[in-house]
Amino acid sequence: MKRYVYINDDNLAKDIYCDNRISNRKYTILNFLPKNLWEQFSRFMNQYFLLIACLQLWSLITPVNPASTWGPLILIFAVSSSKEAWDDYNRYLLDKKANEKEIWIVRQGIRKLIQAQDICIGNIVWLRENDEVPCDLLLLGTADPQGFCYVETAALDGETDLKTRSIPSACMGIDVDLLHKIKGVIECPSPNKDIRRFDANMRLFPPFLDNDIFPLTIKNTLLQSCYLRNTEWACGVAVYTGNQTKLGMCRGIAEPKLTAVDAMIDKLTGAVFVFQIVVVIVLGIAGNVFKDKQGRKLWYVQYPKEGPWYELLVIPLRFELLCSIMIPISIKVSLDLAKSLYAKFIDWDVEMVDPETGIRSNAANQAISEDLGQVEYILTDKTGTLTENKMIFKRCCISGRFYGNESGDALTAKVGQFHTRHYPKMKKPLYVLLLVCAWFWRIKTEIFLILTSMHLQCNMKYLTLWSSHLTGKECLWWLGNAKAGNFSSCQKEQMKLFFLLPILIVSGQQVRTFAEAVEQYAQMGLRTLCLAWRKLEEDEYQEWTSMFKEANSTLVDRERRVAEVCQRLERDFEILGVAAIEDRLQEGVPETIEILRKAGINFWMLTGDKMSTAIQIALSCNFVSPEPKGQILIIDGKTEDEVCRSLDRVLLTTRITESESKQDVAFVVDGWALEIALKHYRKPFTELAILSRTAICCRVTPSQKAQLVELLKLCDYRTLAIGDGGNDVRMIQQADIGVGISGREGLQAARAADYSIGKFRFLKRLILVHGRYSYNRTAFLSQYSFYKSFLICFIQIFFSFISGVSGTSLFNTVSLMAYNVFYTSVPVLFSVLDKDLSERTVMQHPQILFDCQSGRLLNPSTFAGWFGRSLFHAIVVFVITIHSYAFEKSVMEEVAMVAVSGCIWLQAFVVALETNSFTIFQHLAIWGNLVGFYAINWIVSSIPTSGMYTIMFRLCEQPSYWITMILIVATGMCPVLALKYLRYTYRPSRINLLQQSERLGGPILSSGIIEPKSRSSLDKDIPTDSVYEPLLSESPSATRRSAGPTQRLDSVQSQSPPHSTHTRKDN
Amino acid sequence: MSFSDGASKSSSKSSTKPTYSRFTQQELPACKPILTPALVMTTFIMIGITFIPIGLSHLSASENVVELVDQYDEVCIPADSPDPDVVYSKRIGYIQDESTDKTCIRTLIVPKKMKQPIFVYYQLDQFYQNHRRYVKSQNDEQYRDPSASAKTTNCEPEAQLSEGQPIVPCGLIAWSLFNDTYTLSRNDVALPINKKGIAWESDRTHKFGSNVYAKNFQNRSLIGGGKLIDNIPLNQQEDLLVWMRTAALPNFRKLYGRIETDLEVNEIIKVVIQNNYNTYSFNGKKKLVISTTTWIGGKNDFLGMVYIIVGGVCLLIALVFITVYLIKPRPLGDPSYLSWNKNPASVQ
Repeated sequence: MKRYVYINDDNLAKDIYCDNRISNRKYTILNFLPKNLWEQFSRFMNQYFLLIACLQLWSLITPVNPASTWGPLILIFAVSSSKEAWDDYNRYLLDKKANEKEIWIVRQGIRKLIQAQDICIGNIVWLRENDEVPCDLLLLGTADPQGFCYVETAALDGETDLKTRSIPSACMGIDVDLLHKIKGVIECPSPNKDIRRFDANMRLFPPFLDNDIFPLTIKNTLLQSCYLRNTEWACGVAVYTGNQTKLGMCRGIAEPKLTAVDAMIDKLTGAVFVFQIVVVIVLGIAGNVFKDKQGRKLWYVQYPKEGPWYELLVIPLRFELLCSIMIPISIKVSLDLAKSLYAKFIDWDVEMVDPETGIRSNAANQAISEDLGQVEYILTDKTGTLTENKMIFKRCCISGRFYGNESGDALTAKVGQFHTRHYPKMKKPLYVLLLVCAWFWRIKTEIFLILTSMHLQCNMKYLTLWSSHLTGKECLWWLGNAKAGNFSSCQKEQMKLFFLLPILIVSGQQVRTFAEAVEQYAQMGLRTLCLAWRKLEEDEYQEWTSMFKEANSTLVDRERRVAEVCQRLERDFEILGVAAIEDRLQEGVPETIEILRKAGINFWMLTGDKMSTAIQIALSCNFVSPEPKGQILIIDGKTEDEVCRSLDRVLLTTRITESESKQDVAFVVDGWALEIALKHYRKPFTELAILSRTAICCRVTPSQKAQLVELLKLCDYRTLAIGDGGNDVRMIQQADIGVGISGREGLQAARAADYSIGKFRFLKRLILVHGRYSYNRTAFLSQYSFYKSFLICFIQIFFSFISGVSGTSLFNTVSLMAYNVFYTSVPVLFSVLDKDLSERTVMQHPQILFDCQSGRLLNPSTFAGWFGRSLFHAIVVFVITIHSYAFEKSVMEEVAMVAVSGCIWLQAFVVALETNSFTIFQHLAIWGNLVGFYAINWIVSSIPTSGMYTIMFRLCEQPSYWITMILIVATGMCPVLALKYLRYTYRPSRINLLQQSERLGGPILSSGIIEPKSRSSLDKDIPTDSVYEPLLSESPSATRRSAGPTQRLDSVQSQSPPHSTHTRKDN
Repeated sequence: MSFSDGASKSSSKSSTKPTYSRFTQQELPACKPILTPALVMTTFIMIGITFIPIGLSHLSASENVVELVDQYDEVCIPADSPDPDVVYSKRIGYIQDESTDKTCIRTLIVPKKMKQPIFVYYQLDQFYQNHRRYVKSQNDEQYRDPSASAKTTNCEPEAQLSEGQPIVPCGLIAWSLFNDTYTLSRNDVALPINKKGIAWESDRTHKFGSNVYAKNFQNRSLIGGGKLIDNIPLNQQEDLLVWMRTAALPNFRKLYGRIETDLEVNEIIKVVIQNNYNTYSFNGKKKLVISTTTWIGGKNDFLGMVYIIVGGVCLLIALVFITVYLIKPRPLGDPSYLSWNKNPASVQ
């Protein structure tokens, strides 16, 4: 699908394309109510409660006033729809502001000021410095004579550095006045969300140039919501408007994620629902039988001889309504409130603020905090996630000489000077090498220093130009044409071996040195960049350029064709040198990974890096224990057979070591083998994935990252993906939990993620503290909600047996409504402040997370425990109430209030017993709730027209009421306390043990203890040991120690080239 | 240029540092009790030693209540036959026949001295005043407000006469008013039963209006229980008020009246019962209860017994815990019990 944009001709476009009105609103005033209600009622729970509420309107079957369900239901709906409405109103205000902003456009050759929403496709829009771009524009002219302008794209991709945009060559040199009258046609793709591509063509109509078709790229565009910077003015033609802009298309509504806890609660709710239906059917049948056998003899009830057709249904429906409280209506609201507080705690946490940048953690998704506590797999990106993504130029190898010393300092000026003095011939290669490094790693400032100190004539302006707005290929051209003669080079270190390959044949000795250098640097965990060049003849260059241009202007499959053309140029290179750049590990990474691995979380590292670099990084950040404990198995192979054999071998080894469970096995796989394994050997690979705790996947593409997440998710594991760059976005969105690091590669990942943090090390706090607490709290909160609902429901059921199975409600409307919404919800809500263990203890014993991962605190058996408890408590309350309020005291209203009070007292003590730490709020909530209960009932009891008039006063005057309460509490709680004590002392869970040790005697030392302080000092030591080997020390032990058997590494090396060729084609 | 821009941008983002407070950092001071043996054992012992005395005093209070119970439903009806079906139908025939004299005389012997006030109750068993059809069948507004006499919502099937006039008081509960009467005499001297003030005061002042009078009551072909006096306001017909405080249990007692003289031991009390009320249809029982009260109310051994049982069990539990603790002491919080310390390799 294509779109044709006629410049300066908005009449044509008006009818076909939408205007520039931006609308992020979900609702309008008219459709708000129906749409919002529809959305809310698409949830099963809400449908259920609505059905119940509607049934209650039928007075024949309703046990209590319909208000007891309608009240809470309306309250819940009101709360969530007013939240929605408020959010939508804010969006509307923002939209309105953007839509009504005044923008200069050209109409009939005259510049006019209009509102942004009236821009049409084809309009020419004029922007001044620091203006926000109102829609997607194709740049036509700027104030800069070279045709450049600078934009800040932070709102689009989160990258904060300025980007250069240039006008298409066709418009070069057109006079400002003429720009008002320019006519032409742009052929561009239909609106899409790819913010990195704009494959279009432009043809200007005479008198502007000729009929030539000019290719356009994303470099020629100004996208909506970017800011024009450092440029006096710019103008462009609107190509996409309104919600069809790149930004507008990107704005998708993310699928809501469901946590494991939510899924479990849903499952349990389903079970409760089934149980409820069974109860209803049984009681319904019993009721009808009783009615026929006994009921008709009860003359005072006056059963009619012939009932209506639905008579048989009446009693079951009454029980359905009576039992509807079994599914707590308040649980959704309680959980939502709790979840938003968990998210707030993450936002508020000062310990998760990056001290360097001040970036705070943020929970964008409020609903999935519990899942953090249940993570089983962490899939992490390497660059920028584990490392700082701060490139430091460490070493280089030029014409067989190695620079850079053991202390790991950057190349000093002295090295450069030494080099130029002694090897004047090599001046140029070094210069070029440094320049390319500067471009590639964006370490301009550092290189400037070196260059200046080398007294090399360095044109700062050109350097900036090259580094800021050219891609790899173009950069080399620039270099080739403008400065250092004709040459080419590789652009990303993945490709270096590809370039090395042809040279291997030509001059063996020299290449070997470089190959060794590359290997050495990679072993040190450095990122390497190998540069080669070749002199191009003028003809060859011209021919190639035209081909390149042609390839570059194709609309379909542009990237592949460009790559093909480039390949023709890249041959017979001469190697210039190898540069190695260090990307240091972030602070606290090894320690974090070790703690999380102790917590039973499996780590997978997915990186685009070379295998040996990846292995080195993995070793230095504790992914794999060093030899002899750790073992690295490599899956490789170019063909299906090889991969299959390799996979089988690795699987076998893993199975054996796993059964011995002594060793720490990690497997390493590269993108090519992974592709084959995923396609043809999914089953064994999945088995391996389950068996192995650690995996390192190198040279994987973003889509492979997402596939791996998918694979683990299919095995029913909770996955967390963490990354910082745009290439991690898919993985982050795919995973159960996506964590983005707001790093140097921009905020793209952080935006797509559910949580964004400043540094990798905050992950341990996010999981162990926030995730764990959230899980524990929700586990209690949800089960407790069911407990209290069961409690009151069972009493109703018991009561039905002494009321002729007729479906009478013991409790009145007020009590039922307040019980669910107020009395029992408020105290338990404050359990969101409960901390079973202190943060310090959890950090010292990360293994405790296992209880959360395996769902020990919320599963059918714990639920059965709560079910049993509620059954027991219901029996206690019911039996004691009906016996102590028997005979002359058995007034309906009084018995009901005694039973309700009994429930309230019991639940206060249950909450108290299950609370691990009492803050002032919990005390207030638990005991204040009791006071509140009496206060409310006294108020209701003083209203003469209420059914409860004087009841509560009468009760509170009777000593037997208080005696009954004490008895209910003691009888209900003593067995619970005794059981809990026995378990606590003789069958303690890990949590109990840690609680005991935490609260009785100071910290206990376990073998698994990790002292954060000593750890960080260690982590400085270890890498110097294993990674920072002296340059070219030739010691084989170093290699073996750090990366497993040397043999394996050799094989990696020898088999690498074809892989890279493949990767190449893939790209 | 672009460099410094980027740097300044990112630093400007840091301006919103989260505000520190103990609440936001989840560091509120908290008391963290744990279940130490001492705490638990003390709790159980304390419960034990407080509950048993309470239970004992409750029991003794209950013992002090003097209670006379006389079940008269079967003896007050002349129908003897080996076949229960015949008995059943005969009894119903008897009780539904309005023409027969249903007087029945019972003699009771006072077992212990009874101090006034002595309460006279009637007890019905297997009478479901809490049946849904029954308990709902009333309309408070009509009872309270004379102008609302036409409001008979919920009162079906005792709402209106067939001609459409509303029944006051409407509903099944009022319609089935208990109508046995008791006349007591001691040594042939009548023993007066004070029927004033037997209903709740709130019922007399608020639930039933002082100017609401019975209308069309028991005028339908199907006659339920007792009748009301048309020219006395409802709130003074206290039997109705008592009856309309529905019972939550199928076996219940309702206050019939008060005897305001003491009764001596072994005094013989003659009770003349008008056995009008039909409990025979549903095999219910009728009992006359004469009882004194104490601070716990009427006779009720249940609470006292359960108190003693719970107290005893708590002491027993404490004893068991102490024994187990002494035999097999187990230090709390011993790290060697942590599973990952027992066998580090098994942590998976």
